[in-house]
Amino acid sequence: MSEKEKIFERLIQAVIQGETEEAEKAAQDAINAGLEPFKAITEGLAKGMEVVGDKFEKKEYFLPEVLISADAMYAGLNILLPLLKTETVEKKEKVVIGVVEGDIHDIGKNIVKAMLTAAGYEVIDLGRDVPTQKFVETATGEQARVIAMSTLMTPTLMSMKSVEEELEKKGLKGEVKTIIGGGTVTEDWKSSIGSDAYGKDAMEAVGKVKMLVDQIKAAVELAKKKREDISR
Amino acid sequence: MNPYERLMALLEGRKGDVDRLPVWCPARTCTLDGMKMFDAYWPAAHKDPEKMARLAASVYELTGNENISVPFDMTMEAEALGAPCEYFEGKIKWISVKKFIATDVYDMDIPEDPSEFVERGRIPVCIEAIKILKRKYGGKVPVMGIVNCPLTSVGSYVIDSVEFHKFMIKDPERIHRIYKTLNPCFAAQANAFREAGADVIVYTEEAASLDNISPKHFEEFVKPHLTELINMTKPPRVLHICGTLVSGKLEVVSSMIDSGAEAITIEEKTSMTEARRIADEHKPGYVIGGNINAYNVIQGSSIEVIRDRVKKVVEEGTDMVMPGCDYWIETPTEHIKAFVSAAVEYGTPPRWKK
Repeated sequence: MSEKEKIFERLIQAVIQGETEEAEKAAQDAINAGLEPFKAITEGLAKGMEVVGDKFEKKEYFLPEVLISADAMYAGLNILLPLLKTETVEKKEKVVIGVVEGDIHDIGKNIVKAMLTAAGYEVIDLGRDVPTQKFVETATGEQARVIAMSTLMTPTLMSMKSVEEELEKKGLKGEVKTIIGGGTVTEDWKSSIGSDAYGKDAMEAVGKVKMLVDQIKAAVELAKKKREDISR
Repeated sequence: MNPYERLMALLEGRKGDVDRLPVWCPARTCTLDGMKMFDAYWPAAHKDPEKMARLAASVYELTGNENISVPFDMTMEAEALGAPCEYFEGKIKWISVKKFIATDVYDMDIPEDPSEFVERGRIPVCIEAIKILKRKYGGKVPVMGIVNCPLTSVGSYVIDSVEFHKFMIKDPERIHRIYKTLNPCFAAQANAFREAGADVIVYTEEAASLDNISPKHFEEFVKPHLTELINMTKPPRVLHICGTLVSGKLEVVSSMIDSGAEAITIEEKTSMTEARRIADEHKPGYVIGGNINAYNVIQGSSIEVIRDRVKKVVEEGTDMVMPGCDYWIETPTEHIKAFVSAAVEYGTPPRWKK
């Protein structure tokens, strides 16, 4: 293994083992060795988090293990993210995430946030018990593509409906996509309130967010092409 | 046999006396129809013993469901430890905890004398409601008090859930300390319910399933402490954990059985066939109940589907026909009625007499 590969492997293992100090050391060593911060993230920390997500799926890792691994990943990211050269990195797509109004259970949301961060999105975390307005205002203010909402309980499912209604009212449906998930959330609920996607777990959420962002990009391209055709 | 005689015979090990499988709900048992018909709406019914009693009995009165349980929510113990609760006056909404107030036992409001715990929050209301219910239904319908155990109460409503789960790896002593310090208080609650007349104590520990923690952590934390807690109260006692309890080679059903409860109840995420198989190997004749999906099936499906699922769960080996967890409050009365009558039909004679 080359020096570079050794450092990436250390980053991967630090995340998998949930070793925060080792993740920081390896991140610092990556910088000292002149490695691209972007690669250290994608081929190190993010790869480690993917393995963790997979272990969670397979019931080898559970909530405590995943949360500790996420901490190690964030510790490494804290060191590497500020050093990313903005011109060498594709502009990150933004996702606004939060637990809806009335609910404070956020473990699932935190895991989805960690997976989305590992996948390269800029995740704006509004925390828990987030009012409807805040989801929409943050998404528009930050020009986020996707609003991701989570709830564990039944009564708070209605808060997701409020956000959909607010987006409809402001004419933002289509421009801002929504994805929902959580203990009581189902595909049926998604259809009944008009959300754009449902993720049954964190792994699925990442794939669906990508699909939603691609949908927006395709729509933007199509609109652009139509304008060009018209102006010819 | 009336519902009380039936369930008590089963839980007291007198299977030969039982005429059919009991049908009842292991967790929160109340509906909007009940609130309307008996003028006992949330949140008033959480705080007034007369209303609590009426609402608790409403599902039995409207549908024949064979238990009456208090309280109607999961935050009562957390509130007694200092968690500030939002009751949503003027609306019908589940009580929610406004913020996490502690990181360890030292910043929870724990009484020096555990018996003082039962004077806190809504616990006195429950005790009074149980007395009222016992006077009216004693010996006819099982009256039950629910204890929401420490891992769930503290880990969901008192300490930040994210930090709590990390403590299991980073500071296991803290989790042990939480259980050890709180068990006497929660046992005092169970015993106060028992003294007030509760026929059955139901212990719920939803945070302990394989959806959340590993079998290793279940062995390390949940098994020893729940066993201690349960054994501080006289039988009969039922342990309910919803979520996944069996996954491939992993299972926590045996450990639940070892806790000493007279029966365990499971949710639809756990296969009844698998739970039956494990129970029969681990402790032949052990009573397990469950496990129809309360939302998709009992609330959301047709009467035909409800009946079909009941028939199926009886074939799969349940000893007690039950929803997987709470009845959802929006469930139409007709659906629960159909659920109960299907259980009566398909549960006669009981499985062990076939």
